[in-house]
Amino acid sequence: MSQSFREVKTPMSKPKSSPDLLIIAAIFLLLTIGVIMVYSASAAFSLHKYGDSFFYAKRQMFFAALGVFMMMVVSRLEPKLFYQWSKPLLLICFGLLVVVLIPGVGLLRGGARSWLGIGAFSIQPSEFMKLAIILYLSRFLTLNAHQIQSFIRGLLPPLGIAGGAFALIMLQPDLGTGTVLMGTAMVMIFAAGARMKHLLGLGMVGVIGFTGLVLAAPYRIARITAFLNPWQDPLGAGYQLIQSLYAIGPGGLMGLGIGMSRQKHLYLPEPHTDFIFSILGEELGFLGAGTVIVLFTVLVWRGLRVAITAPDMFSSLVAAGVTGMIVIQAGINIGVVTGAFPVTGITLPFLSYGGSSLTLTLMAVGLLLNLSRYSKS
Amino acid sequence: MRLTGNRVRKRLFITLILGLLLFGGLLGRLGYVQLVKGQWLSEKAEELWGRDIPFEAKRGRILDRNQEVLTYNISSPTVMAVPVQIKQPAETARKLARILKAPEEKVYRQITKKQLFVYIKPWGRKIPEETARAIQGMRIPGIAVVEDSKRHYPNGSLAAHILGFTGIDNQGLAGLELVYDDRLKGTRGHVSFSANARGEKLPGGEETYSPPQDGMDLVLTIDKNIQMIMEREMDQAMEQYQPENVLAVAMDPKTGEILGMGSRPTYRPDQYRDADPRIYNRNLPIWRTYEPGSTFKIITLAAALEEHKVNLKESFHDPGFIKVAGARLRCWKHGGHGHQSYLEVVENSCNPGFVTLGQRLGKEKLFSYIKKFGFGQKTGVDLNGEAKGILFSPKRVGPVELATTAFGQGVSVTPIQQVAAVAAVINGGRLMEPHLEKEWVDPEKGETVEKVKPRMKRKVVSEETSQKVRKALESVVAKGTGRKAFIDGYRVGGKTGTAQKVGPDGRYLKNNHIVSFIGFAPADDPRLVVYVAVDNPKGVQFGGVVAAPIVKNILHDSLRYMKVPKRKNQIPLEKTPLTTPIVEVPNLIGQDVNDIRNSLFQARLMVYGTGKKVIDQQPKPGQRVKQGTPIRIYLGDKSPKGD
Repeated sequence: MSQSFREVKTPMSKPKSSPDLLIIAAIFLLLTIGVIMVYSASAAFSLHKYGDSFFYAKRQMFFAALGVFMMMVVSRLEPKLFYQWSKPLLLICFGLLVVVLIPGVGLLRGGARSWLGIGAFSIQPSEFMKLAIILYLSRFLTLNAHQIQSFIRGLLPPLGIAGGAFALIMLQPDLGTGTVLMGTAMVMIFAAGARMKHLLGLGMVGVIGFTGLVLAAPYRIARITAFLNPWQDPLGAGYQLIQSLYAIGPGGLMGLGIGMSRQKHLYLPEPHTDFIFSILGEELGFLGAGTVIVLFTVLVWRGLRVAITAPDMFSSLVAAGVTGMIVIQAGINIGVVTGAFPVTGITLPFLSYGGSSLTLTLMAVGLLLNLSRYSKS
Repeated sequence: MRLTGNRVRKRLFITLILGLLLFGGLLGRLGYVQLVKGQWLSEKAEELWGRDIPFEAKRGRILDRNQEVLTYNISSPTVMAVPVQIKQPAETARKLARILKAPEEKVYRQITKKQLFVYIKPWGRKIPEETARAIQGMRIPGIAVVEDSKRHYPNGSLAAHILGFTGIDNQGLAGLELVYDDRLKGTRGHVSFSANARGEKLPGGEETYSPPQDGMDLVLTIDKNIQMIMEREMDQAMEQYQPENVLAVAMDPKTGEILGMGSRPTYRPDQYRDADPRIYNRNLPIWRTYEPGSTFKIITLAAALEEHKVNLKESFHDPGFIKVAGARLRCWKHGGHGHQSYLEVVENSCNPGFVTLGQRLGKEKLFSYIKKFGFGQKTGVDLNGEAKGILFSPKRVGPVELATTAFGQGVSVTPIQQVAAVAAVINGGRLMEPHLEKEWVDPEKGETVEKVKPRMKRKVVSEETSQKVRKALESVVAKGTGRKAFIDGYRVGGKTGTAQKVGPDGRYLKNNHIVSFIGFAPADDPRLVVYVAVDNPKGVQFGGVVAAPIVKNILHDSLRYMKVPKRKNQIPLEKTPLTTPIVEVPNLIGQDVNDIRNSLFQARLMVYGTGKKVIDQQPKPGQRVKQGTPIRIYLGDKSPKGD
């Protein structure tokens, strides 16, 4: 191991090009749409609740600004630092994931103990863990690239690390974040060149495991069956999906106009977080919501282009991981609210209200931008 | 520095393709939801957002044929709660409960329901004005007093069985209120707006007001004055004879328009809850079936005349019974009526005579007329609960059944059937459909929207037959069993009936009869047909004695009210030791009072004033009064002719 550690070097060369402008443009567009939609979706009840219709919008702008600042900082760091920080970062995150589970320390919000801190100044360790896993797995898979074909030595260790993180997140429980984390890990392991035979086997195990998790919590079964036919139980398990479809459907091609959503008026739970895409579809129609999907598609394309054109394997895997993390989360969220996937509590990156999560995601984009500067054209 | 291998590049490329496919799929799904299913989802969602606050329509009034109001609405406020607006439910419930005298806990449960609005039932429905004002004065958030109305029947129990009544939501529950509920109640209006999940109005949501469509006013064929006359007579009969019940029907024989109808015992429509359901559910004139008795002989007579089976001048001998298939059917008069003409058979209501008429007709003909006159089927009067009556099934009709049917036994009919059939006999042969609905009037414009035309079912007998029967029936009243219905100048025709009641065991009850009389006037041009039946009167149990005077009173007062001119050429009342002749008042005006006193004039005089000449008299000259009626004369000195 030590040999390969020496062998592998972090990129030392000077950046060859400017950061990927399309990614920056897409991110800024998404952030703008996000702030507007957070305002529109939350204005009514934030006025009701806090006496300030801009309550959520202002915070979203603040965290967006903070996130962009962090993104710029990260994009200018020496890439080798990521390589070096990956191990301690992972250890810290594991520690935090354990600490957050302690009642009285971890804050219980929405039925999950996933927050640390006080009030507004709280963070979700699971968000940091996603980033830490990307960095650490990139490093691990780069170091063990020659063994990736081996199930025991190449595949099991990264899987074990990701699985451990996943297990801790599921104890909160937070199936959404856990799924994104595992999905990201799988994208990276796949990209690193694991054998298809192994991956398919793992896929089977994953399906069985996921089924087990679903069966363990009755509400998850209800969500799955509700997704297949929400009108079976319109006031129970099917409620959220139906309300989401009642928002998106009437939006039609052009939408009802900014601020005109009806479903945000207490019909849709948390219209400014998990269901912001529904309100977007209702107010801005297929054109608006479709634009957001196209912007995420741009991220898929440019993000993986950074991965493909990265100068070294570590950078490739980090870029793939970051891209995977963002678009898997976006894909699941959009799939859920349009009724393509079962309902899972998960936010839409850049658009949903959420302080630490937004900042973290932007820092991850910072990584991507950083690496894009070293692209080999 | 480990370079990115080709395998890794290939894998990343596959990932890119998969990612693009995923987002392409999501874009497709979004398009499907928004562009394909959008319309359907919109419609479903509209149902979810839409909230309606109803505005009740005013229920139409019911008027008599002269636009006299029989029932209308009076303002009666109702308390409405909008649960989401109630800030302190417990406090609100306590206040409301105290003022409405309602259980606090139940009020609390109602005002905390997850509904757009609730009524506080039943305590807050239709409350007095003072209570309403008190509640309004309290200004409780989320509690409103809204306009509501309740049905008011200004004439108490007048025409109760015809009008029926309404329930708490002003919905028709009985009588015409039920039959014509749809048109009387109108269409509810509402204010619609979009609301959030809590029922609060959405900002910028559209609010549309659809005004209520008030119910239409129903004008009846009923004449309130005739109805009042009948109700008065029924009340009196109840008082006088203490019967189980009394019923009366008055109809215009030419049109089938029911001018009055009712029965005793009765109830008050606005207090129907306190009444025995058997009273308000049984509209006796259309519901009750019984053997008609002799009134049915009119049908036999009309059939026999129409078929030329009898000449009223023909003679008939009644020994007091008639033998039919070995059975002795007795006449009601012990010893029989002896030798008589067929006109006298009718006058005397002689059973053997009518049996003979039935036999001459034969069972086919007699029963075909009975059916053509509408017996055995509903008349189609516009009320619920009408009975059909029962006839012998043709297969079971033997000589005895034929014979008894001919004089009104062994058939079971309703009063309304008899009225409709007799009306057909006397109006020239046309069987009319009895009805109560005359017109529908738009309450706002006062315009008649719809008029109900008289409906003829069929022509049963000829004008000639009709005329003969009228004459015979006038004769019944002038000379026969119907004398107590005689009214001087109105040419009353009619027929008595004394029907035996069948007990629960299927046998005839002893000393328990329904006595009835059906009368009409004037016989030359009938304007009114009146049927009265008294069930089990105490004392005398003959239709001619009990029911005929009631019909007479109804006819007399109604015809006078209808301003039907008196006739001159009527069949005079036959003198019997019990009847008082009617005489014409002589003209005394202008005569010397001493001359009058010295003449052989037999009338009792009541003298007013002083002087020698009669300047006025009461009754007026030419008026017809019972013999012995005193005449008031007013004296003065001047001859009135000189003025």
